Amino acid sequence: MTQHTSYGEVHGPRAGEISRRGFMRRMLGIGTGILSLQFLGGTIAFLWPNVTEGLGAEITLGTAEDINSAAPDWAQGLPYIYNPARLFVVNVPAGKARVAQESGGAVEAEASLPVPDPGEDVLALWRKCPHLGCQVPQLCEFSQWFECLCHGSQYTILGEYRAGPAPRGMDRFPMRLDGDVYIVDTREVESGPPPGTVTFDDREPGDMQHCAG
Amino acid sequence: MTIEKRPNATADKNAPTQAPSEAPLAAPGAGPKLPGPPGVPGTERFRLLAYVKQESMVRVDKRPDETVLTWPHLLRAEFVMLMLMTALLVVVSAFIRAPLEEMANPVITPHVAKAPWYFLGLQELLSYFNATVAGVLVIPVYLGGLMLIPFIDRTPYRAARDRKLMWVFFLCLMIGGLIITFIGSFFRGPSWQWVWPWEGLFFTL
Amino acid sequence: MSDGSGNRMTRWLKESTVWRSLFRHGVPRDRRTRVMAVMSNVFLHLHPVAVRKSGIRLSFTWCMGGLTFFLFLAEVVSGVLLMFYYRPVIEYAYQDIQDLRAHVTLGILREIHRWGAHAMIISIWLHMMRVFLTGSYKPPREFNWIVGVFLLVLTMLLSFTGYLLPWDQLAIWAITVGTQMALYAPLAGPESSFLILGGIEIGQGTLLRFYVAHVVLFPLVTAILLIVHFWRIRKDGGISGPV
Ligand code: HEM
Ligand code: FES
Repeated sequence: MTQHTSYGEVHGPRAGEISRRGFMRRMLGIGTGILSLQFLGGTIAFLWPNVTEGLGAEITLGTAEDINSAAPDWAQGLPYIYNPARLFVVNVPAGKARVAQESGGAVEAEASLPVPDPGEDVLALWRKCPHLGCQVPQLCEFSQWFECLCHGSQYTILGEYRAGPAPRGMDRFPMRLDGDVYIVDTREVESGPPPGTVTFDDREPGDMQHCAG
Repeated sequence: MTIEKRPNATADKNAPTQAPSEAPLAAPGAGPKLPGPPGVPGTERFRLLAYVKQESMVRVDKRPDETVLTWPHLLRAEFVMLMLMTALLVVVSAFIRAPLEEMANPVITPHVAKAPWYFLGLQELLSYFNATVAGVLVIPVYLGGLMLIPFIDRTPYRAARDRKLMWVFFLCLMIGGLIITFIGSFFRGPSWQWVWPWEGLFFTL
Repeated sequence: MSDGSGNRMTRWLKESTVWRSLFRHGVPRDRRTRVMAVMSNVFLHLHPVAVRKSGIRLSFTWCMGGLTFFLFLAEVVSGVLLMFYYRPVIEYAYQDIQDLRAHVTLGILREIHRWGAHAMIISIWLHMMRVFLTGSYKPPREFNWIVGVFLLVLTMLLSFTGYLLPWDQLAIWAITVGTQMALYAPLAGPESSFLILGGIEIGQGTLLRFYVAHVVLFPLVTAILLIVHFWRIRKDGGISGPV
């Protein structure tokens, strides 16, 4: 092939150095990159919902007395359905006692019915099924479990996973007592406990009759 | 001397196929690097810069009888198609009502909650596998797999007989998807239990 | 109009500057004017002036790409008409949909829009099948195949966001189940659900978000990708030749 002598010496930055143009080009690239990221971040920030009422805000449920007058069965352990935020407000001691009673001795509980004021021992379970989001209905009368009708996921009264296609127990919201008024903070969802968590009610799905699944 | 040579390979005319003297004036680091000291015959290497397939070049040399004019041949076909489609759409719409149920109520879950039909295959899959596994498997793998097809199937053949494996693989995917979509659509009822279509149809478009 | 005034009128019209500024060539009757017709019109110019015979055979393309495009156009037209009556507010949306059927003249627009959407999903899958089966994704068409996959996703998204808008039981529960499924994908946590739904669960925020995505965002992106798609078909040498 041809000789290359006619091309002369090669001028360029020495190794490890960067030319003026190269520098400018790089800065331009970085600048465009930063700008795009800012645009993306700003868009997401703008679209981030700021919820001020209903689910996504702090919700005042009232005192135990208020709940008892709205739902007389609460002291008997039946979870109180608070629909504006799609919640089961579970009176834990009464609920446990109820399951113990209805299960015919298969489960044991400390308290006995009724329990009109459980104090801090209350759970706010979200009625949205962690499987595909259906509304979880009130306790099944046969099993005393929550049984989702959509695809048959089953949870105990404490929202622990027992059966079905759901990936975990029922999601919940932190609850606190302000004086004697219950306040649910629905700004942050707490994921339900993983399958295999058994703190109460260790019956197997095969032990009883069910409403779904 | 190595020359990558393929039939019809045409290098860009402006590209430096000989020596790199111009390269540093352009972007540093960019541009083709030609190893081998210049001037020593037998050490230059040539790189393939572009491989322009015959098919994708402007077809000046093709015989005219292979093609027909867009106006009227293609446009006529398109027009007929457009008219047929519009007519069909209007007739179907005049006779078949779009479904509308009761007003939305977040507090009442219907006994059968199904996704739109084109996701029912996915919903059916979700009922077999652990949700996270199916989520990982189905959406990214399916879409990623689709996008990668041209890079997996590197053979230059296009006829079915030359790529039986790909055909079988792809058709299995498509038909499998069709079958589970069918099952999810017509064979699943309340609680996602198996239901024969003649026992009740739980499907809305 | 064999003679006299009619002819003179036409002649005068056709020689006027206005006519000539609109139509730069004669009636497409011969080869030259037909080529000109396609070349000088921005819309027709999506096409090359001549196509392979095989490319317009129904047995080769099944006409499915073209049909998908026409369905997209039909959706745009019927969708814009629907927008004149529909309000994306949970108090009104459902009622507006009912009124569209009961009180609007030619109240089948909603049907056209809905059946068209279903048809588009079927035709886009068939189109993808034919592109695969004829091996038309092979070089140099790899990139167009990827553009196609994005179009597929967008078509599904368009259909999915539209599904919520009637705000009936069918809509919200299908969308609940659908979004929940999508959120099983890796990297998608409760945050993305919050962002998509515009709140912790489906409500007014979701309806408005889905509406804007459905009528502006996704159609726009789809239209842009369609331009790329068609441009690439031409740059890659037209519809692929016979297998
Ligand atoms: C909104 C959706 C789409 C529209 C409107 C559309 C439209 C078209 C049209 C009109 C053609 C010309 C050939 C034909 O009619 O078959 C075409 C070709 C093509 N399409 Fe699409 N398409 C869409 C989606 C897709 C998808 C989902 C894929 C694949 C994943 C895809 C891949 C291709 C490829 C590779 C070609 C070139 C085929 C050839 O040259 O033979 N497109 N498209
Ligand atoms: S949504 Fe509850 S089991 Fe599927």
